[in-house]
Amino acid sequence: MMTESVIGSLKKARNGVGNAGSGRPPGDRGRKRRLSQSRTFTLFVLPSLILLVLLNLYPVIYAGQQSLRNGDLLSAGNFVGLNNYVSTLQSPAFWHAAAFTLTFTLVGVFGSWALGLGLALLLRTRIPAGGIFKVLLLLPWVVPVVVSATSWNWLVATPQSPLPILAQALGLGNVLFLANPFLAQVTVCVFKVWISFPFMMMMMSSALASVDVNVYEASKVDGATAFQTFGRITLPMISRSTYISWILMTIFCVNDFPSIFLLTGGGPVNSTQTLVVLAYSTVFQNFQTGPGVAIAFMMTIVLVIIATLLYRQIRKVNIE
Amino acid sequence: MSVETSRTAMTGQFTSAARPRKRRTLSQARDSGKWLRFVVIFVIAAIVLVPIVAVVLLSLQPSLGSTANGITLENFGKIFTETSVGTWLMNSLGVAVVTVLVAVIVAAPAGYVLSRGRSKLVSGYSLVLFVVQSLPVVTSVIPLFILFAKVGLVDNLAGVTIIYVGSTMSVAIWMMAAYFDSIPITLEEAAWMDGCSVFGSFARIVLRNSLPGVLSTAIFAFLLAWNDYLVAVVFLRSDQNYTLQIGLQTFFQQNQTNWGLVMAVAVVMMLPPVILFAALNKYFSVGGIGGSLAGR
Repeated sequence: MMTESVIGSLKKARNGVGNAGSGRPPGDRGRKRRLSQSRTFTLFVLPSLILLVLLNLYPVIYAGQQSLRNGDLLSAGNFVGLNNYVSTLQSPAFWHAAAFTLTFTLVGVFGSWALGLGLALLLRTRIPAGGIFKVLLLLPWVVPVVVSATSWNWLVATPQSPLPILAQALGLGNVLFLANPFLAQVTVCVFKVWISFPFMMMMMSSALASVDVNVYEASKVDGATAFQTFGRITLPMISRSTYISWILMTIFCVNDFPSIFLLTGGGPVNSTQTLVVLAYSTVFQNFQTGPGVAIAFMMTIVLVIIATLLYRQIRKVNIE
Repeated sequence: MSVETSRTAMTGQFTSAARPRKRRTLSQARDSGKWLRFVVIFVIAAIVLVPIVAVVLLSLQPSLGSTANGITLENFGKIFTETSVGTWLMNSLGVAVVTVLVAVIVAAPAGYVLSRGRSKLVSGYSLVLFVVQSLPVVTSVIPLFILFAKVGLVDNLAGVTIIYVGSTMSVAIWMMAAYFDSIPITLEEAAWMDGCSVFGSFARIVLRNSLPGVLSTAIFAFLLAWNDYLVAVVFLRSDQNYTLQIGLQTFFQQNQTNWGLVMAVAVVMMLPPVILFAALNKYFSVGGIGGSLAGR
């Protein structure tokens, strides 16, 4: 619903009308009413505007300045031009983090989407105790991330944890989920899919609910296989919601700090470091504000580009 | 987005009113595979829920150095008497409740303007909100830390609350506006004819009919404040100021192997969202999506 409203309102914003529609201009009683209305409207908006400027706009502008300086958390430092950006772009750590951010995001988005869509399709049919499953399956997303991370630590962190013991019993040897760089990457990605799929399940469930069932009856009469029905009818009909959910999940994955920080802290040997974690540790552990902000800024720009591309895709779908 | 779609999306995440009648024919045809699908989904749910069930079960096991046998609640007694969990819980609740109150009070009128206003300025404002929302929290946390350090708001629950209010703001306004869209403007126009002021019609007609919208926004703000980790870990430095997120994290680091106690704290932490979820399921889906929009 949020997404619907965001996209819809954006469209209206482009057309220059408010959310209530273009409507007829406020009645003949006219000017006096309109004047008092605009005064009330200003008062209504003012508190939120002040908060936005102070807590959102000011920080971004300040951060923009800091990315051009060599300061730390306590002093503003000297102007160094684009040095922070140049040195960041030259550091291998940045590119490594960028690469893992990409992997993490791709796995997070498509993994959770595939699982969420599969479950939504299953739950759409009539199943014994289906309602209970719908609620239970949302739990990974309802539980606070610190709790989930603690629990996953219990599951995999040490050789005495249940999963490594299970792996040992299966003859896989000593599997160290968080100490081996590659396995740590896998674990973090699986964790992300685990906390995200309920969101996808909800998005896809509501999208599937709006698909007209008669279409399926018709395709069945025409002799379509289940696979054809899915690829040619179901997927195209939920494509709009799919793109929206991809945009949102991309933003969540790229901006996700706690999942990684709580599980691995970016290690071992920085293998699970994403750009957000790198930006955080650059500022709050190495006390270099400039490069840290530069990383966050470049990340945001790429994110905006990706979101815009996907958003265009949505508009294309709308036109069709 | 038409009013209708936002409405159905709001009330019918899983329970579309029109569905059951049409569905029957479809599902009758598929009845044979019913139990197979049940088994599939049962297995998936069982695997998926392991970490959560583990938290609950471990919290009921006797902790290290305990003489109790079998299932026991003594961990919960212990954490409340021997650690600062009580303080952390009150901190988290306080921060979340204040965030909810301020967010709703500030966002409701702004959302009303967004929903009813027709000028270029209003549409410009809604675009600004969207842009603000997509900026990562890390970027704004750094300057706010520097600013707050100057005015003594670092390691201060008020400082954290202010940031939560700021980060809920744009989504909260969007959510309120989307709900107000579903309330016909004709009601207000009639009231204006009778000489009611804009503020009067907003308070008496629109707000009064917007309980679901207000609830969803409140749930969203509560979850954001309750679940945040990044802001808390940057700004809160001393034990008595920790929220549960940071409290659980440090407690876990200090008592790595004493899972009974650690998981008892975890249960305390996840109980409020789960209870909210159980009680207000319908509004949750709306608020929840907004909540994750703010970045999980």
